[in-house]
Amino acid sequence: MKILLVDDDPVARRIHSMILQMQGHDVLEASDGEVAWKFVEEGQCSFVVSDWIMPNLAGVDLCRKIRSANLERYVYVILCTSKGEKSDLIEGMDAGADDFLVKPISPEELRVKVRAGERVLSLQQGLADKNRELAGINNRLQSAHKLIEDDLKAAAWMQQRLLPPPALEAHGVKCEWRFQPSGYVAGDIFNFFAMDEHQVGFYLLDVSGHGVPAAMLSVTLSMMMSPDATHGSPLKRHDRHTGEFDVMSPGDAIRELNRRFQSKDDRYFTMVYGLLDTRSSTLRVAQAGHPGPLLIKKDGESRILGTGGMPVGLWPELEFDCFEAAIDPGDRLLLYSDGVTECMNAQGEAFGEDRLLTCLGSWATRPLDAMLGGLLMEIRKWRGTAEFGDDVSLLAIEIA
Amino acid sequence: MRFEESKIGKVFVAKVLESRISADVAPRFKEDIINYVTKGNRTLVLDLSEVTFIDSSGLGALIASLKVIGNDGELMLCGVRDSVASMFKLTRMNKVFRMFPSPEEAAAATL
Repeated sequence: MKILLVDDDPVARRIHSMILQMQGHDVLEASDGEVAWKFVEEGQCSFVVSDWIMPNLAGVDLCRKIRSANLERYVYVILCTSKGEKSDLIEGMDAGADDFLVKPISPEELRVKVRAGERVLSLQQGLADKNRELAGINNRLQSAHKLIEDDLKAAAWMQQRLLPPPALEAHGVKCEWRFQPSGYVAGDIFNFFAMDEHQVGFYLLDVSGHGVPAAMLSVTLSMMMSPDATHGSPLKRHDRHTGEFDVMSPGDAIRELNRRFQSKDDRYFTMVYGLLDTRSSTLRVAQAGHPGPLLIKKDGESRILGTGGMPVGLWPELEFDCFEAAIDPGDRLLLYSDGVTECMNAQGEAFGEDRLLTCLGSWATRPLDAMLGGLLMEIRKWRGTAEFGDDVSLLAIEIA
Repeated sequence: MRFEESKIGKVFVAKVLESRISADVAPRFKEDIINYVTKGNRTLVLDLSEVTFIDSSGLGALIASLKVIGNDGELMLCGVRDSVASMFKLTRMNKVFRMFPSPEEAAAATL
């Protein structure tokens, strides 16, 4: 151990230095507090044994100076006093001394007190090393977290770009939506598009599970569920005789999707896919394990369509039922994910279908966008917190 | 997952002691069910009377267990509450799983 020995008495300094060297320490000598402070400030030594009364800078003042300085490492200070009075001890401790020696100093007492100081310094050094290591780990974690967060934000942006533009209209059918992912990215996705010259298609799907794996599948499905048949869309079929692409019925389209998406893990998805023929005012809907769409009549009366169906991706070769409904001008259709009906309030009670119908009542006759805004507000109010436990998606269409 | 295990005759009954089967417990849930079956309980009755909510991951775990068990055994459900039953009905899983009001009735159906 390197020890800074501070004493203005050269004889006492010589004796104490010899004792310390015999006990195996390196000794740095200083004739007063000022000289000693220079050594400490330069970081030459972190163990000080200092006399109390000295010219220029007394031992207790050296101690104060050390404690008030912002040094990189802890400096252990033993003050030596020949007075041995109680008030001195208090002043010394107040100044930040770690220990005291009473003159004349016995070699044995010096040995044990230096050893105790060494232990403190070594513990302190260990802690400092650990802290430095933890700070390093923390920095790496922060950068990793930032990277993941940036990636998720980019993924969320890409996912949201797949959603229809606001106030979209096709063949006189209007579409509005609301999308509240429970995390950055969602397992929910939906779309609305013109299918051919007189039909519009729309769907809302919900991949089981959460987070990135669910979102990757929802994005893949969204890219595939396209009215553009040139890229192998499951929504259309090529007719070899006419050379044309026929629009597949919703049931057949979902059967084709189910054939393509046989997942190797436990993943599956639920969906509602509908086709609205604007010439005949008929609606055809396939419901695959997804909550049934709401038909909102022009007068605000609403009811749930459909009774259910198998989710997609569980077993190959499943048939998917398709039901029809007549639609009148001014009617609306609302598709939603189970994040709406299963949205829990603080008491763990689900929002549920009945409440959805009731809440919709007062908003159903408002403009399409206002209706969705009002409904989302009711769901938020029910939830009570800003965060949703599951993705909340609403897609509404209105027939001209 | 916490289960309460019992036997009715030769039929093994595992009662789920959690109120929710959701994404956080789904993988463990599936593992536990498969363990019951691989340990030789060919017919397993899962008592869901304490369960008030099953999310899509929970349902996924049940179906995955069913697929793993395959023809080696049978997974039956009992005591399904209304809140869970409506989800089974919506997804037609009431046609995939044999469901009974009580474990005794499920056990009797295996005879």
